[in-house]
Amino acid sequence: MISMKNVSKVYVPDKPPALTDVDCEIAQGEFVFIVGHSGSGKSTFIRLLMRELIPTTGQITIAGQDIISMKSWKVPFLRRNIGCVFQDFKLLPNKTAYENVAYALEVIGKSRHVIATQVPEVLRLVGLEDKTDSYPDELSGGEQQRVSIARAFVNRPPLLLADEPTGNLDPATSLGIMSLLNRINKTGTTVLVATHDREMVDSMRKRVIALENGRIIRDQSRGVYGYGD
Amino acid sequence: MAISPGYFLRETWSSFRRNWVMSLVAVSIIYISLLLVGAFFLTSSVLNEIVSSFEAKVQVQVFLKDGALPADVESLQADIQKIPNVKSITYITKAQALERFKERTKNTPQLVEQLRGNPLPASIEVALSKPREVQGVVDAIVKDANLAKVVKNPDDPLASDIRYGQNVVENLFKATGIVRVFAAAFLILLLVVSLVLIGNTIRLAIYSRRREIGIMRLVGASNWFIRTPFLLEGVLQSLIGSVLALLTLIAAQAFIVPWLQDNLKFLPVSIGGLTVAQLAALLIFSGILIGLLGSGTAVRRYLKV
Repeated sequence: MISMKNVSKVYVPDKPPALTDVDCEIAQGEFVFIVGHSGSGKSTFIRLLMRELIPTTGQITIAGQDIISMKSWKVPFLRRNIGCVFQDFKLLPNKTAYENVAYALEVIGKSRHVIATQVPEVLRLVGLEDKTDSYPDELSGGEQQRVSIARAFVNRPPLLLADEPTGNLDPATSLGIMSLLNRINKTGTTVLVATHDREMVDSMRKRVIALENGRIIRDQSRGVYGYGD
Repeated sequence: MAISPGYFLRETWSSFRRNWVMSLVAVSIIYISLLLVGAFFLTSSVLNEIVSSFEAKVQVQVFLKDGALPADVESLQADIQKIPNVKSITYITKAQALERFKERTKNTPQLVEQLRGNPLPASIEVALSKPREVQGVVDAIVKDANLAKVVKNPDDPLASDIRYGQNVVENLFKATGIVRVFAAAFLILLLVVSLVLIGNTIRLAIYSRRREIGIMRLVGASNWFIRTPFLLEGVLQSLIGSVLALLTLIAAQAFIVPWLQDNLKFLPVSIGGLTVAQLAALLIFSGILIGLLGSGTAVRRYLKV
C-alpha cells in the first residue's frame, strides 16, 4: 500500500533534517501508529504521504503510484483516495457538519442524490446524527473531530491518515475517536495514526513505528509506545 | 466529472450569505466607488455637451453686396455646400437681417427709428460639422471664384466680407480643449483608483478565507472547483454594487437635471439615453471585469497547497 525508500526531508539547509533515511512498507488493511516526541518527525511523515510536502530525497509510492514525480494537477485525485484527519480538525467554518462531510463528495462530483444518502449514513457511524445542522463553532472538540473523521471516511478511501487526532481532546473523548478509527480499519481501510498518546498506543496493541530525531528507531507489530522512555 | 452548474450557483449564493459582513463591505465599496465614477462620467458628459454647444455657435458669415445678382449668389451657395465639413447653409435676406437687428435691440427702439431704409447686408451663414476646422472652410470660400462677384471688397474679402470670429474661435477652442482633457484625465484617474480599491477589497475578503482554501485543497478539491465559486462570488458582489450605483445615478439625475435646466436656462443641460447606456456599460463591464480579476488573482495565491 505504502512504500517509503530512503526518504529524507530538510526544511532549512544546514539545520538537522526533519526526517533522515526513512524506510518502511505498510500493507493494505494495516493499522499503524507513528509515535515519538514532538519534533521527532511524525507530522512530516504524514504530510509527505498527503503530498503536502515533497521529500528532499527518496521515493514514496502509494498504491503503486509514485507520488513525488506526480504532476501537481493530479494531486487532488491522489487526495481523494486518502482521508485526512488533523489535530486542528480543519473543518470549513462556514459550513454545517452535514455540508462539511458533503463537500468531500461534491469535490469528486457525486450527485446530490448520492450525497443525501451517504452523508447521513456516515454521520450516524460517527454518532452525530443529531448535530447535522450545527456549525463547527457550535460543536465540542470531540464532535468536531468526529465530523472530520466522517469527512475523511465518507468516500471510503483505501487509506486514512490521522495527524495527532486526539491531541486536543480529553482521554475519554480520545478513546471514542480511537475506537472509531479502529472500526474504520475493520472495514478494510489502511489507517495511519501519528500520536504521542502513550496510553492509547499501549492499550490498542497495533503496529508501532517509533521516530526519534527523524529516524525510525523501532518498528514492531503489536507494539507499545516505548520501553519506559 | 458530472458537476452541475447548479452546484456552483448554490455554493456561491450560500457563501455570499454566510460571509455577509465581508460581502457587505465589498459591495458597499464597489457601490461607492462606481457611484463616484458614474457621477463624474455624467458630469463630464453634461460639461461636454455644454462645451459642444459653445463650439456649435462658431459659424462663417459671408456678407453680400447690395447689388449682387441672385444667380451669382446661388452658385456661390452651391459651391459652399460642396465644401467638406459644411453642415448647412442659410441665406439671410436684408429684411431678415433687419428683423434680427430689431429683435436684438428691442430694449432701445430708438436705434432702429434712426435708421433710414435698411443698411444691413444680406448674408450667407455657414454652419460647420466640425467647428474646430473652421479655418479650412474659410480658406475654401476665399478661393471660390464666385465670391468676388457678390462681395463689396473682392480684393480682400477677409477684411470685412467674411466673418468667423477669428480671435475668439482660437481662444474658445483652447479653453474647451483644456476642459475636455482635464475631464477625461480625471475620469480615467478615478476609474483606476476605484478599480484598485475594489480589487483590493475583494482580495481582502478572500484573504480572510485563505485557510478555507487550504482545507479544500487537502480534501482533494481541484483548483477550478475551488476557484469557480470565488470567481462567481466576486462577480456577484461587483454586479450588485454596480447595478445599485447605476440605479442611484439614474434616479439622482432625474431630479438634478430638471433642477439645473430651471436654474441655468442659458445652458443646454441634458443627459441623453445614449449617455445612460454608455454609463451602464462602463459600470457593469468594469465591475464584472474587476470582480473576476480581483478574486482570480487572490484565490490563485492560496491555491498552492
